[in-house]
Amino acid sequence: MYAALKCYATLSALQPENAGHFPLEPDETVERLIARLGIPGEEVAVVFVNGRTAPRETVLADGDRVGLFPVVGGG
Amino acid sequence: MTEDEIVRAIAALSQPAPEPLRFRCLAGQVLADLSRKTGISLARLEILALQNGVAPEKYLRNFTTFSLDEQVRLLESGAALLGLGGLGGLVLEYLARSGVGRIRAADGDVFEESNCNRQILSSPANLGQSKAGAAAARARLLNPACEFEVWPKFVDAASVAACVRDREVLAMRRELAEAAAVAGVPLVTAGVAGLTGWVAVVAPGSASPAGLFAASKGQSAEIVSGTPAPAVGAAASVMAGCALDVLRGRRPALWGKMLLFDLADATFETVVL
Repeated sequence: MYAALKCYATLSALQPENAGHFPLEPDETVERLIARLGIPGEEVAVVFVNGRTAPRETVLADGDRVGLFPVVGGG
Repeated sequence: MTEDEIVRAIAALSQPAPEPLRFRCLAGQVLADLSRKTGISLARLEILALQNGVAPEKYLRNFTTFSLDEQVRLLESGAALLGLGGLGGLVLEYLARSGVGRIRAADGDVFEESNCNRQILSSPANLGQSKAGAAAARARLLNPACEFEVWPKFVDAASVAACVRDREVLAMRRELAEAAAVAGVPLVTAGVAGLTGWVAVVAPGSASPAGLFAASKGQSAEIVSGTPAPAVGAAASVMAGCALDVLRGRRPALWGKMLLFDLADATFETVVL
């Protein structure tokens, strides 16, 4: 099972090389994925799965697109 | 002059617009002279011309993306802008040039040197001066048909309603989104950090990016990554496009949605709010 990951803004420093085709563990949640990437949980403000906001308990499926977004408020 | 006489004068002074446009056009100087002679506002004359198939030349390159009727609608429309920094300054630029008839803009801040990397209204020559004052001068210069009202003060939750009174759209950063929702006007809002940004259009009372970010304890990413010009420009362009959609009576593609972009790897993704 693989997901396509995108880590935005300051989180991009921790985006893995194979983000476009990232192997998932069985029944992996967004929460677990964030931890496995080494991203401090409080730095992720919004999680998007397949174009919709998703809670961190969401269990990921093969082919899911996951976006991790910090607070972004400049302009 | 009666309105009929003015319409006849506009028709007589107009000339065919360049191919492939199928209507006529008229130079700004001719309309300005007519305005002086008749005492009728430039905006009103532009509307009269457009309603009779004559486009003011300054809008020629708006067509045929906008129709003549939509250009009339823009001239009759009103927008409120909260903030005249990186995003607000550029949105003002695009709305005024496009022919939005009434723009009310508020900002209580003055320019500082660190604004100059991205804020189009700022320059080394106006540091310490009012953003609102620079905006008023710019709007007058860009489009004298635009009625520009400036509030040289910070708008808070209590004064948002007054700022959006008789306006069809509000553009601003996310801080006052909840207060703006109560005012019942569609909100166009955006944020930038580094080369990442987001833009959203919030229907009155619907979910907003401010709500998404509200619970987060993380520090805002622009504190570390800054706000470089290309990302601010990209976000402001999308904001202006959405605002112009609302103002000419169309539903923007981002209605109830949020565009996430990252110029570092050319990611553009639209998500549901």
